[in-house]
Amino acid sequence: MSFTPEPALFSLLLNISAEEFLLQILIGVIMGSIYGLMAVGLTLIFGVMKVVNFAHGELYMIGGYSAYFLMAVYQLPAYLALPAAVGIGFGVGYGIERLLLRPMHSRRMERPVEYSVIVTFGLLILLQNLAIVLFGPYVRKPPTYWEASFSLGLINIGGDRVFALGSALILLTLVLVVIKKTWVGRALMGVAQNKFGALISGIDSKQANSLAFGIGAALAAASGALLAPLFLVFPDSGTSPVVKAFVIIVLGGMGSIAGSLIGGVLLGVIESMGSVLYSPSYKEVYGFIILIIVLVLRPWGLLGERERWA
Amino acid sequence: MGIGRFLGFEISLPARRSILYLSLASVVPLSVPFFVSAYWTHVLIIGYYYALLAVSWNLVAGYTGQFSFGHVALAAIGAYTSGLIAVHYGISPVLGVLAGALVAAGTGYLVGALCLKMRFVYLALTTLAFSEILRRVIIIEEEYTRGSLGLSVPKLFGPGVLWYYYALLGVLVLSVAVIYWIMRSKIGLFLRSIREDEGAAWVMGVDIKKWKLFAFVVSSFIAGIAGGLYGHYIGLVSPTMLTIGQMGLVIAMTVIGGMGSLIGPVIGGVLIEIASEYLREYGALRLVIFGALIILVMRFFRGGLWEAIENFRQKLTS
Repeated sequence: MSFTPEPALFSLLLNISAEEFLLQILIGVIMGSIYGLMAVGLTLIFGVMKVVNFAHGELYMIGGYSAYFLMAVYQLPAYLALPAAVGIGFGVGYGIERLLLRPMHSRRMERPVEYSVIVTFGLLILLQNLAIVLFGPYVRKPPTYWEASFSLGLINIGGDRVFALGSALILLTLVLVVIKKTWVGRALMGVAQNKFGALISGIDSKQANSLAFGIGAALAAASGALLAPLFLVFPDSGTSPVVKAFVIIVLGGMGSIAGSLIGGVLLGVIESMGSVLYSPSYKEVYGFIILIIVLVLRPWGLLGERERWA
Repeated sequence: MGIGRFLGFEISLPARRSILYLSLASVVPLSVPFFVSAYWTHVLIIGYYYALLAVSWNLVAGYTGQFSFGHVALAAIGAYTSGLIAVHYGISPVLGVLAGALVAAGTGYLVGALCLKMRFVYLALTTLAFSEILRRVIIIEEEYTRGSLGLSVPKLFGPGVLWYYYALLGVLVLSVAVIYWIMRSKIGLFLRSIREDEGAAWVMGVDIKKWKLFAFVVSSFIAGIAGGLYGHYIGLVSPTMLTIGQMGLVIAMTVIGGMGSLIGPVIGGVLIEIASEYLREYGALRLVIFGALIILVMRFFRGGLWEAIENFRQKLTS
């Protein structure tokens, strides 16, 4: 007689097998790492500039359109199109910071937070509708990156998903290495921690702002380009991922990079578990419920610092 | 003068003058439906709906400095509450609009209580997520809400536009009056002090959580009424009411009209609705223009149209 309590317990409690349970966690981790890419960009911008970029989803959308046009229209191979899309994202982000957000730090600017919130929201409206004007309301599908399928018992995981996960992990590692190990990264962290301290140490905080916004935008564009074959490209394709990124950065604690990675994975797992246990249509709602619980119990986020009143 | 003595008090000269101006100014909106076609009266009704949203959003964002991006969701909650109880339980729309406003105010209270204790932009992030997720839920729950097709709801006053015009105008005037009263009172000072410097306000003994929440609930209530009236006027409540584009429109109206002024958002709401009716053939390009205007006004002319009007008036008098 064999004794297997775990599967019995799972099937009793959750109505699914242990194997499926683990698979759903795996899928959640995969999706969560890709969400994390977007959230890390948002959190980097917030950490350095204390600005929430409400147009972050539109940079995701720009990444998606760049991938689509470079690969489907100009027939560029993926290894050229992807870096180009990331570069376009960086350029757009850098430009936005220079043109629209730099004035925020001038002495004459009244209520800079109000300015940044409304200007980035205006940018969201502008870019989303500009995409409708320029490209039409159509849904487009760029070519697949990796024609493959991995069978994991009950379900198959497509090559695009694995490709997106791999690239996301590489990019995240790259960002972490740059931030922890290079002078540029340390300068960014310095500005994030204490703007005046950084200034005294000779760090150009204006340059740091532009750079942070550029890198954040590049990460958003990268996730847009990587997920384009999976979730397709259309003018408001950025809305759903940016809402997830908002949930993640509040979950993880505003400005904490590790927090947004953990928050991303957490959200991915919650969504995938909720889909199996209750209904996949409510995917978006599960994350929001968790967000509310965190706001009640730990409003500064899972890894964020408690707010200081200075 | 006459009326003042009749009521048993004297009205000062400046007050008398402003009463005169106000009654002269009220002639225009009161008589407009008799001079323009039913179509443009309809446009004005929609304009008043947006003006209500802009005025109430301005109470939170413009006067108190708290950014909620879920304002159109609160209007939709008002509209759906009233519409759903009218369709499923046959409750009269008049009661429904009130119930909708109360539910919107209650939602505002809950969301505000969660986020307003935090600084920075927690409110903006959470309300934007809330609005998008509510929209999805409305689309998914088509059994009750008829999903993206929209819910057909009974009309408030039957066909025709005149009654709706005066109803929305009345609610708009009343809301502006309430906000004027709030901002004239001590509460107005509290709200402005929170906007200028939360920490300093707190040190001076302003109960910042309480007053932020107060502003948010009042503003949610007005949005709920606006949404309910809008739904029972159009006869259809659909998830397009709470898209991000709609929120962008409300922000454009407030910012272009003049954020943090009493009348600016009203002017912005009505003017932009009229403009967007004129430019209907340009479709999405209109929102590109309004988005660009939001940015330009914030960058170069924070006071918006209202400040321009004030400057012009001062130039005339000096």
